[in-house]
Amino acid sequence: MAAALEASEVVFNKVGKMTVFKKRQTVILKDCSFKCERQKLTVLIGPSGCGKTTIINLIAGYERPDLGEVLIDGKKVPGPDWERLVVFQETALFPWLTCYENVMFGPLARQVMSEETAHNLALGLLRKVGLEGFHDKHPSQLSGGMQRRAELARALINQPKVMLMDEPFRGLDAMTRKLMQEYYLKLFEENNATHVFVTSEVDEAIFLADNLMVMTNRPSRVKKEIQVDLERPRDWSIATSKRYLEIKAEALELLHEEALEASKSSEKVDIDLSGFSQAS
Amino acid sequence: MTTAGYEGTQDSMFLKQLKKTFLDWSLFRKVMSFVLFLVAWSLIVIAVDYFQQIPTPKAVLMALFDIPFTAILLHIAKSFFRVLAGFFLGILIGFPMGVAIGYSRVLKCLIFPAFEMIRPIPPIAWIPMSVLFFVHIESQIVFLTFYGAFFPIVYNTMGGISEVDIRLPRAAMSFGLDRKRMLMKVILPAAMPQIFTGMRLAMGITWILVVAAEMMANKGGMGYYVWYNHTVMDYPHVVLGMGIIGLCGAICSIGINAVGNYFTRWRRIF
Repeated sequence: MAAALEASEVVFNKVGKMTVFKKRQTVILKDCSFKCERQKLTVLIGPSGCGKTTIINLIAGYERPDLGEVLIDGKKVPGPDWERLVVFQETALFPWLTCYENVMFGPLARQVMSEETAHNLALGLLRKVGLEGFHDKHPSQLSGGMQRRAELARALINQPKVMLMDEPFRGLDAMTRKLMQEYYLKLFEENNATHVFVTSEVDEAIFLADNLMVMTNRPSRVKKEIQVDLERPRDWSIATSKRYLEIKAEALELLHEEALEASKSSEKVDIDLSGFSQAS
Repeated sequence: MTTAGYEGTQDSMFLKQLKKTFLDWSLFRKVMSFVLFLVAWSLIVIAVDYFQQIPTPKAVLMALFDIPFTAILLHIAKSFFRVLAGFFLGILIGFPMGVAIGYSRVLKCLIFPAFEMIRPIPPIAWIPMSVLFFVHIESQIVFLTFYGAFFPIVYNTMGGISEVDIRLPRAAMSFGLDRKRMLMKVILPAAMPQIFTGMRLAMGITWILVVAAEMMANKGGMGYYVWYNHTVMDYPHVVLGMGIIGLCGAICSIGINAVGNYFTRWRRIF
């Protein structure tokens, strides 16, 4: 991409978040602290339903923390903004717009660049993600993998400082998923935004990550941070390297502990509300 | 790959196409459906003493030739005017209202409970009250058709808006859309399929109501035509009138479907 990209730093400082649904309180995050470094790819991995999507929503500004603070470059998240864009689970393309119109949506809505600049950027990006012949297709006419790539393009054209990936490759078949991971990694290695990637797949997590955050069950926090010091650029051949297998063993061990914990305490989940007395 | 070994297949493909065009059994059966219906109708009327008074298909067909042509066109025009006036008034008032209720929680709390109280009252029960509201009979009928169209449009517009996948407005919010542009560019397009479902329903209901109202009002229209022929015991014309009403309703629903399909055409491409 043409313009030099800026990246932001994301810091969670003792964040607490709970929901109240039908008078039943659920603590999703408690004392959740971690840091996503500038221009790095941070992967959050944890048991399903542990609040990973909530973390994405907090960074994007769709939700606000009940306790603690979410800081972007030292400032509290003001609200949704093009600087922090989400690639959602499954597809959230606008189904009534064509592929090209979807990619153009952000630039046209923000009106920060001329239509011509946006048009050229869009063409470049669509070529880059391999959707060159599909400009006039609607999302329903694209395969799952193509939809994900179109959505990547729709976010990337805005040159966000933080890219938030909320289990973006879930639901794709195994082959497409691997291809998408390589695609995505290539895009990441080329542009230097900060990326936060949420997944529940260990292999995907290690393959992509600079930093791997293993999350606990609800109420969720970072159980352990693992530095994935595999060299870039990567492809799937690293999956057999010794270091990769070490990291994988460690991550699996941690996740296994969490799974055991969850099955042991399944009846008393959601009860501990200490620390939330001053909220709400 | 060569075509060797596929010659036979090609031949049978041609035959298949031929069969499909000229020996279309499913089309034949569909036509038979009408024929069987008319035969069954005739047989029942002729064979069962109890149904003697009911006109046969033939009698209805004969009635078609002795209707006063301009008079029936006038009746049809009157009914159409009342239906369309009510329908478009319903859109004019119901659509913005549905958008307001669906898009603003405050307005929903203010308006929706009262709506819920009024909605279960069948529109026909409003006929006596409509006399109080409007002096002119024409306005009373249009009020009724409007009333019938109003609720399906309001409710489906509201429902369509509140059921939009939350990720779509969220994505748009990140792109910096304010509430007004969000409505125009994301919420309404996404809700369009259900908005048109409401309009289709509304169209059907206005036809029901226009017939009921015209039967009571003595001011012309197809409902009046059917009722008048009933009072003079001319039943072939009653059935003919019913048929014309059905046809008019079908034309209207084809029209609204065409408009709806145009505005939601992205749903039908795969």
